[in-house]
Amino acid sequence: MAVQTFLFASLIIFSSIESNHGATEVSLFTNLENLLEVTAKPTRVGVVWEAGKDIVRITWMLKSSAKVNDDAAFKTVEVKLCYAPISQVDRPWRKTHNELSRDRSCPHKIVSKPYDKIPQSLNWTIDRETPTGTYFIRAYGTDVNGYEVAYGQSSDAEKTTNLFSVEGISGRHTSLDIASICFSVFSFGSLLVFLVKEKRKAKLQQRK
Amino acid sequence: MASNEEGSIGTSMHGVTAREQVYSFSVDASSQTLQSDDPTAKFGLPVDSEHRAKVFKPLSFAKPHMRAFHLGWISFFTCFISTFAAAPLVPIIRDNLDLTKTDVGNAGVASVSGAIFSRLAMGAVCDLLGARYGTAFSLMLTAPTVFSMSFVTGPVGYLAVRFMIGFCLATFVSCQYWTSVMFNGKIIGLVNGCAGGWGDMGGGVTQLLMPMVFQVIRLAGATPFMAWRIAFFIPGFLQVVVGVLVLTLGQDLPDGNLSTLQKSGQVSKDKFSKVFWFAVKNYRTWILFVLYGFSMGIELTINNVISGYFFDRFNLKLQTAGIVAASFGMANFFARPFGGYASDLAARLFGMRGRLWILWIFQTVGALFCIWLGRASSLPIAILAMMLFSVGTQAACGALFGVAPFVSRRSLGLISGLTGAGGNFGSGLTQLLFFSTSKFSTADGLSLMGAMAALCTVPVAFIHFPQWGSMFLRPSSDGERSKEEYYYSSEWTEEEKRQGLHEGSIKFAENSRSERSRKVALADFPTPETGTPTHV
Repeated sequence: MAVQTFLFASLIIFSSIESNHGATEVSLFTNLENLLEVTAKPTRVGVVWEAGKDIVRITWMLKSSAKVNDDAAFKTVEVKLCYAPISQVDRPWRKTHNELSRDRSCPHKIVSKPYDKIPQSLNWTIDRETPTGTYFIRAYGTDVNGYEVAYGQSSDAEKTTNLFSVEGISGRHTSLDIASICFSVFSFGSLLVFLVKEKRKAKLQQRK
Repeated sequence: MASNEEGSIGTSMHGVTAREQVYSFSVDASSQTLQSDDPTAKFGLPVDSEHRAKVFKPLSFAKPHMRAFHLGWISFFTCFISTFAAAPLVPIIRDNLDLTKTDVGNAGVASVSGAIFSRLAMGAVCDLLGARYGTAFSLMLTAPTVFSMSFVTGPVGYLAVRFMIGFCLATFVSCQYWTSVMFNGKIIGLVNGCAGGWGDMGGGVTQLLMPMVFQVIRLAGATPFMAWRIAFFIPGFLQVVVGVLVLTLGQDLPDGNLSTLQKSGQVSKDKFSKVFWFAVKNYRTWILFVLYGFSMGIELTINNVISGYFFDRFNLKLQTAGIVAASFGMANFFARPFGGYASDLAARLFGMRGRLWILWIFQTVGALFCIWLGRASSLPIAILAMMLFSVGTQAACGALFGVAPFVSRRSLGLISGLTGAGGNFGSGLTQLLFFSTSKFSTADGLSLMGAMAALCTVPVAFIHFPQWGSMFLRPSSDGERSKEEYYYSSEWTEEEKRQGLHEGSIKFAENSRSERSRKVALADFPTPETGTPTHV
């Protein structure tokens, strides 16, 4: 018992060291400026897009309203797929948090590219592992140390416009269904076989 | 002159043609009239008058006692793996099926609710058909439901499948019943504690096993949304394999299988209505129902919520949260047997009263640590509180099943079933009240659950046996009612007693004299109920 408690004490110590690592500077979303202009245009319009199949054309560039040296700190641009509010309802694991390190609303990374003053674009095939939901696209401008300094998103501030729906893959497959049925039949069948065998044996014994 | 009546002297034609087969004197293995002087010689372990083992050797596989023990706990272990297999994979499943927190919570409630009914039914099945069939039915009829996870596409299907898989937790009842008929009362606390504890460990092992299996399948090339479905084939397959082993290697009772013994007249077939009535009429059954609901019940709830709690509140990685969650369930390996052993030890010193006190102490201590767990805001304290909570609660489960076998002999199976059902009921209730809404945070839910558990443990003070007493009262001083035989034969009507159907209960009563406290046992010579005086 003492050994177990000791082992877990050490486990906790190590994990708390890990979680405290590098958090001297806390990035808050409200501190970021909306300097990037991000657009997301589908190649197919009017339908629910399928993960793994449909392509989205994403473009990002510095806003025309930005001042001259606003982009001095930018090193890379990280483009992420974010959940719209409707996909966050009753799902606390997708909660938006002001502290960016604890924010869970933008878990899917699309691409990370070095910042270029000219507008950039990308034809992105929606990742096959993207779950079903409603999304928008956000780009973070990060500095040399990897901290976010600015952002831009394809939707408005309330995240109500320009949202798109994605249908994830079902994960089902005919081969799985067949295997499932086979195993089930085997389970029922072997039970029946045993029951019948034992009943016969008991009847024989009774006759003796 | 030659009579034509069948069977009268001179009518047998045996031997007339000289071609009839002649048998040498042999002992038929299935014959119930044993030729040897010592009928207990064929058992690998020393046994009592009911042929129940008096010694517990966990590393042995001796027929039939130790085999029954191992098959029992492994069946139960496998079912725990299946029932809680979804919990560590919920982060993947909730994305695949687009589940909300309510969906996940409801499925958690459903996963433990099915067993309320199946545990009740299992009690009756064991009493009437034997523990072997009970276990095999539970394993092999629910294996298809585990496989059917491959068909699920949304929250409704997910809930339905988790509900159906949950039925297999009835193996708990068949496992405890099996050990209760195979092992003597003096060691039943330890044996039931080991069987129950090692089985419950499945809830912890699954938190490690399923993510591992999932990872391996992903490495083999499957997408996450397919990999978790394939992962479910492992527990399903295990169930089928263990089910086959139970049927081929297991034996219902020390003397043979139930159907054989019933047909040969050794064990009488009982009426379900009677068995049910005597279980339900006994108020102790219902107190145990509530007690178990707040020891095993909160343990089952924790299996469903603790991983997510550590993940969310302390920002642990999924694997780390899984390890913490697993260690809660794995503590069962020693905690529950320890509870059973402590119960047996207390019985040796103080009799049944000791068992009741131990039960109350462990369960209350566990509940207090649960309150602490919810209050803890730093990770080291939370883990410490969780480990102490796990030991207290799991030991209480073990101690409870040191008491349960003595509540009734006739309805042993059904009482095990009702108590077991109480565990699941408690789990469903606590999950519904404290963990399915946004009214309280999970931390507050944990503390409230602990408080409710401490409160609902108080009824143990009301369990009173006239022959042994209760927590605060001495045994009855009435000459008639203070005998174990009186208590156990009161479950049979006069008519049934005249037919001699209660013989098994009388034997059990004699063996249960061990539940008297040491002081009383030393001062009292066992009086033979039937038997001629030494000199006529």
